[in-house]
Amino acid sequence: MTVGPSRGRRYVMLFLFFCGFSIILFRLVTLQVLQAAELTAKANRQHEKTVSFEGARGMVSDRHGKVLAMNVEVPSVFGVPTSLENPSAVARHLSPVLRIRSSELEKKLRQNKSFVWLARKVEPEQGRRLEQLSLGGIGVVMEGQRFYPNGPLLAHVLGFSGMDGQGLEGLERRYDTQLHGEKRVTVLQRDALGRTIFPKGGKEQVPTQGQALTLTVDEVIQYIAEKELDETVVRTHARSGTIIVMEPQSGAILAMAVSPRFDPNSVSALTPDRWRNRALTDTYEPGSTMKAVVAAAALEEKVMTPGSMIFGENGKMTIASTTIHDHEKLGWMTFSEMIQKSSNIGAAKTGMALGDQRLYRYLQAFGFGQRTEIDLPGEVNGLLKAPKSWGRRTLASISMGQEIGVTPLQMVSAIATLANGGVMMKPYVVSEVRDQKGLLLMEVLPHAKRRVVLEETAKTVTTMLERVVTHGTGTKAAIPGFRVAGKTGTAQKIDPRTGGYSSTLFVGSFVGYVPAESPRLAMIVVIDEPQGEAWGGTVAAPVFRRVGEQVLNYLGVSREDTVKIALATRDY
Amino acid sequence: MKTLTILAGVMLVFVFVWERVDVVRLGYQIERSKSQKILLERERDQLQVKFSSLAAPERIAKVATEKLGLIPPQQGQVMMVHQSMDAPGLSSPPVEQVRLARHVVTGRINE
Repeated sequence: MTVGPSRGRRYVMLFLFFCGFSIILFRLVTLQVLQAAELTAKANRQHEKTVSFEGARGMVSDRHGKVLAMNVEVPSVFGVPTSLENPSAVARHLSPVLRIRSSELEKKLRQNKSFVWLARKVEPEQGRRLEQLSLGGIGVVMEGQRFYPNGPLLAHVLGFSGMDGQGLEGLERRYDTQLHGEKRVTVLQRDALGRTIFPKGGKEQVPTQGQALTLTVDEVIQYIAEKELDETVVRTHARSGTIIVMEPQSGAILAMAVSPRFDPNSVSALTPDRWRNRALTDTYEPGSTMKAVVAAAALEEKVMTPGSMIFGENGKMTIASTTIHDHEKLGWMTFSEMIQKSSNIGAAKTGMALGDQRLYRYLQAFGFGQRTEIDLPGEVNGLLKAPKSWGRRTLASISMGQEIGVTPLQMVSAIATLANGGVMMKPYVVSEVRDQKGLLLMEVLPHAKRRVVLEETAKTVTTMLERVVTHGTGTKAAIPGFRVAGKTGTAQKIDPRTGGYSSTLFVGSFVGYVPAESPRLAMIVVIDEPQGEAWGGTVAAPVFRRVGEQVLNYLGVSREDTVKIALATRDY
Repeated sequence: MKTLTILAGVMLVFVFVWERVDVVRLGYQIERSKSQKILLERERDQLQVKFSSLAAPERIAKVATEKLGLIPPQQGQVMMVHQSMDAPGLSSPPVEQVRLARHVVTGRINE
């Protein structure tokens, strides 16, 4: 006899199984087919994380590889207001760490937002303390911040970048395309605990770092220039000062110092007036330094020779109902003596002998009234009117450095042209651009713009400019053991109240090169509105000497009285 | 034969599972290494910052003058000594220069 379920019970069981499987099948179809897209997205949200990485901004270094600007990672603090239960208490905890008023933080935390920055780019110690507090709804992320290890050194050239890493001034702005890192987005897979396992598809997008710049500037020469300039500006209570040191044969800028200085690590409280690179954004009337250019033009055009005689009108001459004065009563003098003694009347007569068209042509050829095209932002053209707009006195005025506006960079480029045998080089600051692996992407080679005067003319002017330093107005620029060629300049500034030339506001300058026979440096020193004695020969020439002497020592340039020894070798 | 096929099938399943587990394990390992790399890079940057700040010419000059009592070389104290090109026994004279700083002490010159 067999004992088993009756047929009826078997059907009931079968029916129940059928119902059970039908429910499971229905649920499966619902999940896998009907809600497939929605649930897949939900699952992805839970185990995938989209992260964006930004490549660090490229490094900037001097010609010897010393770091001038680099990126460091610092903490930034954010809040998630929607997840906070007690914003007031959180703000009270955060306030002493972030050094921000509690009320200010609370205001931010009460906003109806899912993300709000509380403090960006704080000190690493603040970040560590916040992590220790481990407050819910408050997070810390690392962000790249620009750091200038030398503080104010070369700040006017380097410029600075903004909170989001965009170049705002100087080289940071000019080379922003090369310097900024690329942003890459990667989808990472994570486990139930939120830990990252690996990138989706096994491929991770690695962000590209910004390219690195190597400058022509030498950190040590820059330091020497800034130190001497700062001392002079402070001592003479001047408004500002500029020094540019250039390599005449290449146009490479070795130093570009502007005083007063600023620290690019903390610019938020400063005004644009402080970070403006006056070396190429500000124009001034060059005064007598322009006579070197006029002399070169006159010699090239054979209007004058070094021995040509000029009458100094005993220190007074009237042109177009205005009187030109010399600082001493000069009679007959040679053209060379005219430069040496910096005679305004002699320069005016030289200009008149050249004529307006020829003088204008040479001024243009020497680069005045146009940008030098240096690779820095903000350069201005300067002020040089066309001859058709000149007044009756303009020709004489320009010949002695008035009625013309030049930048210190234009002036030093012009004098470097003479130092370079009459060939004008394009000034430049960046010499190399490399990628993150050090591969050379761009190399800047010296670029000769044009020949302005013959080599012979440049040599003759050099001899005349040497006499300025040995016997003339620039004796304080003399560097023992070296032949210095240069020219002093003392220009009256326009008085903004009267519109005429001021009797108290001056720009004292000295521009020259050394060693005269084989120049290694061309340099300009401009001191704006020094108090007390404002002569270029008194206020700027000594700075030229001090900077020149130290830089020549640093570069290992031989003095004329170099000891020559014969090194004997011995074979063992 | 049938048993072997079943065994091979089971083995394949195990290999597949082991491979998946190992991929996840390696994923964790890579992530740990990456975190470590980031920390090391951060430390390297901090050290670079420290080095650059310490090697800044302004700081070196300050330490040299204030701490060590040094002064910049005065006029005539630095002399460039060039090797004479016609020195005997030199077929290809090197062009390096020797820099000597003369230390003047009460009138005596020590080189």
